[in-house]
Amino acid sequence: MAKQSKQPMSRALQRRENIAGYLFMLPCLIFFIGFVVIPMIICILTSLTDTNMHDPGLIGGSFIGLDNFVRLWGDKDFLAALKNTFVIVIVSVPTVCAFSLWVSSAIYKMKGPVLSAFRCIFYLPVVTGSVAVTVVWAWMYNNYYGIFNYVLKGLGLIEGRINWLGDEKFALGCIILILFTTSVGQPIVLYVSALGNVDQTLIEAAQVDGATEMQVFWKVKWPQMMPTTLYILVITTINSFQCFALIQLLTKGGAGTDTVMYRIYWTAFKLTEQAGHFGYANAMGVVLAIFIGLLSAVQFKLAKEK
Amino acid sequence: MKMKKLVAAALAAAMALSLVACGGGNDQKPAQSNPSASGSQPAQSTPAPSGSATEITAWIYPVGGWTSEENVKPLIEQFTADTGIKVNLEWLAYADGDDKVNTAITAKKAPDLIMEGPERLVANWGAKGYMVDLSDMIDDTDRSEINAAALAACTSTDGKVYQYPMFITAHCMGINLDAFKAAGADQYLNLDNHTWTTEGFIKAVEALYAKKGDTVAAIYCKGQGGDQGTRALINNMYGGTFTNAEHTAYTWDDPNNIKALEQLKSMPGIAFDASLEGGDELKLMYQEILDMAFCWNIAQQLDPATAGTGAGKTMNGQEIVCMNFPSPDGTPVLQGGIWGLGIFNNGDQAKIDAAKQFVKYFCDSEHAADAAKISNFFSARSAAEGTDLSNIFADNAIMTDYNKVILPNLGDYYQITTGWAGARTEWWNMLQKVGKGEDIAASVAEHVANANAANAG
Repeated sequence: MAKQSKQPMSRALQRRENIAGYLFMLPCLIFFIGFVVIPMIICILTSLTDTNMHDPGLIGGSFIGLDNFVRLWGDKDFLAALKNTFVIVIVSVPTVCAFSLWVSSAIYKMKGPVLSAFRCIFYLPVVTGSVAVTVVWAWMYNNYYGIFNYVLKGLGLIEGRINWLGDEKFALGCIILILFTTSVGQPIVLYVSALGNVDQTLIEAAQVDGATEMQVFWKVKWPQMMPTTLYILVITTINSFQCFALIQLLTKGGAGTDTVMYRIYWTAFKLTEQAGHFGYANAMGVVLAIFIGLLSAVQFKLAKEK
Repeated sequence: MKMKKLVAAALAAAMALSLVACGGGNDQKPAQSNPSASGSQPAQSTPAPSGSATEITAWIYPVGGWTSEENVKPLIEQFTADTGIKVNLEWLAYADGDDKVNTAITAKKAPDLIMEGPERLVANWGAKGYMVDLSDMIDDTDRSEINAAALAACTSTDGKVYQYPMFITAHCMGINLDAFKAAGADQYLNLDNHTWTTEGFIKAVEALYAKKGDTVAAIYCKGQGGDQGTRALINNMYGGTFTNAEHTAYTWDDPNNIKALEQLKSMPGIAFDASLEGGDELKLMYQEILDMAFCWNIAQQLDPATAGTGAGKTMNGQEIVCMNFPSPDGTPVLQGGIWGLGIFNNGDQAKIDAAKQFVKYFCDSEHAADAAKISNFFSARSAAEGTDLSNIFADNAIMTDYNKVILPNLGDYYQITTGWAGARTEWWNMLQKVGKGEDIAASVAEHVANANAANAG
């Protein structure tokens, strides 16, 4: 009897706790629905229309089916932007992960203040405003008075000036370098934390069994850091796919640096005289989201197999 | 438990409030109708709400001296004192001004007044039906006083005046005269009428390059900023055109422009630079890194790079001289700048009337002289309500000289050709390709075709 009377009370308590939990989630949920889910749905719906920025209402144009998507595959400017975006992702993601893993491995055993100093140094570009960072980089890259040309000429490595941001041979690489410096901060902090949390008893057991440093790292530490690595891979991939501010501030998509994100902005807001840009730009956004989703799914799958 | 309930209730209340906040703003019915649906000006028939005409909003693009709040504020305060109409001013930047205006139009929050040129006010927003027709403000006397070319540019093909012209200028180029003299290149300049021939320009660049061994001038093509300079240079060198005379098609694929591009590309002193826009280029001349700037006008001559270090001087005090663009026989055709005021039709007749009062005050009254004078450009009319505006800069030698040797070469205002925003994009993309070494004729043909496709809609 006592057991029977205890059961409903426990359920009521559970229900109350659930309600409280959901209420705590509600603020985030409302903002998530309002600013992520609903815009996403509008984006998908608009991508199936020829909505122009001057059309009234959220989805003001006519339904045109998949015309925007078909048009995208014949749009060589979009395809060039897509290619550049993939170059950024393919170069940036592995280098950011490898570099941050290397730096973290080198610094995670350091004493508190020294470790904090390194964390600060690598995290500084992340917390500094992207405009401020970009202005400094723009000055360093400047064709006429930038420090890179000055130093390289001073060292006799180049004869003339290099137009870092105006020459297709260099511009995309320059963007990737800035993206790299602003992207490594968070992975380093995460890897330092993950390395610090690796089970020491497993490491000691492996060492007792005669494992080398490399074997300890790859066979013991690396598997335990896999969730962190997966998170870093996904976040870095998304950030690289969404590279916009650097392009907007440095090259405006010129010199072979156009990316899908910049093209979306350009198509939606800059070509003000042509009809259908919101719909067409949103179609680009949908394609980009599909690529990001696919790549993230592949990363999850591979990490799970590991 | 009570605490939990309290927190839950507070959270629920907060959520309800945020929902209300997020969903707000829809109760106010937009006054504009879909212009494409009606085929006429939106919301003209909408009854005007009353009681708000004493306050209007004006958005100002950075046009000459009107960029300076210090210059503009006293005039606006005087206007408010005289009329009782409060004006909320906001300055736009060319980099994102169009985005702001277009977003505001979409959100039904367009300003009451806007100051810019016909390519935006007439060919873009006017053509789409967002602007008020100001032709009722222009009588025969006004027509006789306003510069005919300026008024024509401010008038749509169907005869509606979407911009009341305020001031005009002709864009020119600037050169560092001291650098020219040091290189012996000043012999190619006619400093009496500030002209030179294409042959003289080529020789001058060669002499300057031989002297410094570095870039003399840049064909900037990072974006559209200051592209009037590169267009004027290329069009003038061998007499090419950008559009046809009727402004119905883009014609910059004519052989004279291709010849000019080939000539410029072959000159070691000229760099096609995709890292610069017009504003960057003129600063480089101000810093004495470049010896010429193609993005120049009287406002720059009066205050180079807006640095406040003296009229007609570089940062180290070297002399800058305004020049017409080089042409085969020294008779250039310059790109014009025409700026003025337009009124957005936001459906509030009281505000439209107040905005018209503003337009009348600064464009067609004795105050037009002050409005033009602070712009550092020339008034778009010879007189306004009995006030002579033809000689407002008589006390300024630089302006007087400019008026004499540059302004008379003002050419066709072709920026009102349909598809202008798209054509500008095609232009700087084409220059980037030429700079990269791609086939010039093919690049030109491709981008002109794109511009004309946009023109055709």
